[in-house]
Amino acid sequence: MILQHDPSAAPMMNRDEAETLLIEEARLLDECHFEQWLALFADDCLYWLPTVDGDPDIEPSIIYDDHERLQERVFRITQTRAHAQDPLSRTLHNISNVAVVNAGREEVRVLCNLLVIELRPGDISQLGLGQQRMLAGRAEYLFVQGAPGGPRWRIKQKKVSLINRDLPLYNITFIV
Amino acid sequence: MALSPEDLVVDGDGDFRIHTEIYTDPVIFQLEMERIFESTWIYVAHESELPDPGDYIATAIGTQPAIVSRAKDGKIHVMLNRCRHRGSVVCRTQRGNTEYFRCPYHNWTYGGDGGLVSTAQATGYKNMDYGTLGLAQAQVDAYRGLIFARLRPGEETLAQRLADVRHFIDLWVERSPAGKITLPRGAHQFVYPANWKFQMENGTDGYHGNYVHDSFLKVVERAGQKTVREVTALRNTGSVVGLSHGDGFIDRPSGGMAGQFDYHDPGLAAYHAQLEQAYGSSRMEAILGQRNLLIYPNLFLFESHIRVIKPLSVNETVVVMQPTRLGGAPDDLNRARLRTHERFFGPAGFGAPDDMEVFVTSQTGMKAKGVDWSLMNRGMHRETVKDGMHIGGHTTDEAPQRAAYREWKRLMTRAAEAP
Repeated sequence: MILQHDPSAAPMMNRDEAETLLIEEARLLDECHFEQWLALFADDCLYWLPTVDGDPDIEPSIIYDDHERLQERVFRITQTRAHAQDPLSRTLHNISNVAVVNAGREEVRVLCNLLVIELRPGDISQLGLGQQRMLAGRAEYLFVQGAPGGPRWRIKQKKVSLINRDLPLYNITFIV
Repeated sequence: MALSPEDLVVDGDGDFRIHTEIYTDPVIFQLEMERIFESTWIYVAHESELPDPGDYIATAIGTQPAIVSRAKDGKIHVMLNRCRHRGSVVCRTQRGNTEYFRCPYHNWTYGGDGGLVSTAQATGYKNMDYGTLGLAQAQVDAYRGLIFARLRPGEETLAQRLADVRHFIDLWVERSPAGKITLPRGAHQFVYPANWKFQMENGTDGYHGNYVHDSFLKVVERAGQKTVREVTALRNTGSVVGLSHGDGFIDRPSGGMAGQFDYHDPGLAAYHAQLEQAYGSSRMEAILGQRNLLIYPNLFLFESHIRVIKPLSVNETVVVMQPTRLGGAPDDLNRARLRTHERFFGPAGFGAPDDMEVFVTSQTGMKAKGVDWSLMNRGMHRETVKDGMHIGGHTTDEAPQRAAYREWKRLMTRAAEAP
């Protein structure tokens, strides 16, 4: 993507900063610090994995979480016995092709590629355990300035368009 | 296959058992494709998915590739996706709109009705009878928007097939005040490494909810909607029913699954007023009952969605869930229904992935030999039969599963006698 550079409005976030944020988010997920991951999100956030392009009020989404439902997602993984996460997935979130677009003073839009390697450990003689899987997608973030005293940037939107979003998927109850 | 299909389902006095091989034997799987999926009426698509002439969907009937197509004259055709020349599929995209299906190999071209339109370099054929070389057609019929097809011609009409379950399909459609259901383009799709029948059994299983979905119940409790104790009490209300042809359903009174579909929606009162106006108050109560309805072997009508089981092999299955949009209902309500559906279902939902997980743990368990039988006798002592309906004495009983396996046995042995 070619950036439209506007010299009168220097971007508030450059690519290094964006990558640092994304790598930190990946680390929190991969080290299972889900509560800390949740704290990255703004109160009016949207965490969205569509199935197809279209109106999310008509087309089903794989995930369409507002902040309340995102809390539920973390609660379910951390506080309940969810069979689909027993054993818990190990993940490795890989970020690449980072681009900062529409960098303004209050909001910054960041695009990147996301490759998640996932593995559920356990007795490898059992189906579904011990196999590494990959999920690949294009991620689109909207960062907003955080409130004073908190993190500088918070995630207002994280949208991940998986390349296989309109095809059958196997258990993605870990966090993408 | 050590045992014959006749021996794999034991239906005795207080005794109902299923043999391991039903879930593990590739030979049984192949017989199921022939004797069940290719010999009975199978749901292939919903009419709302093919609104215009030229619209098509590529799918499978059992494991045979097929095309559902609306021809120029508006008529729906269901055809095998196999060129009559040398056998390549002629349609590779999942859905779209086209005038022609063209074979990628030698360019043989078929119309939306499956008729052979042209062959490449046609002078290479002498006196070719195009009329006999169209794509192979299945029998097609529809009921209230649900399109069914049958690959092998049979005596039974779709109306006869659906005679006992039709009433419950009607109630499902009438969740729409306009009697009109539409499906989205998008869907929740799962693939899981286990046999298709685990999903078939589970969709009408009233026994597992408290245990498989304990995680979801805690989410609901945390949200202040219902306590775990309240939801488990609701799950003990209502009944389960086994019908003819292997059909069956969980039957809970209106609001019985509240917590799963607790809409928090200001549009709900307006919606109920619409239903009452359209159908009357007593019918409305029946319409709003919570029913998981299996139309054997692989179609479910759920409160929020249509679910189709697509067997790929003996231990690989795809499940497609398409949330329904209720024609005439307030937009707010349809939006809230979609959001609550997403919360539970889908491969990242808070409920359905836990179901899929136990299908996989069950398939793994089937590797253990020496304990060859799964038990499905729960509640046989308290089951009643009325007008051909097997009614469970309790909502956790296995009456629908028994109905499904009685049909399995009937079809699997019937075809053996008359291939």
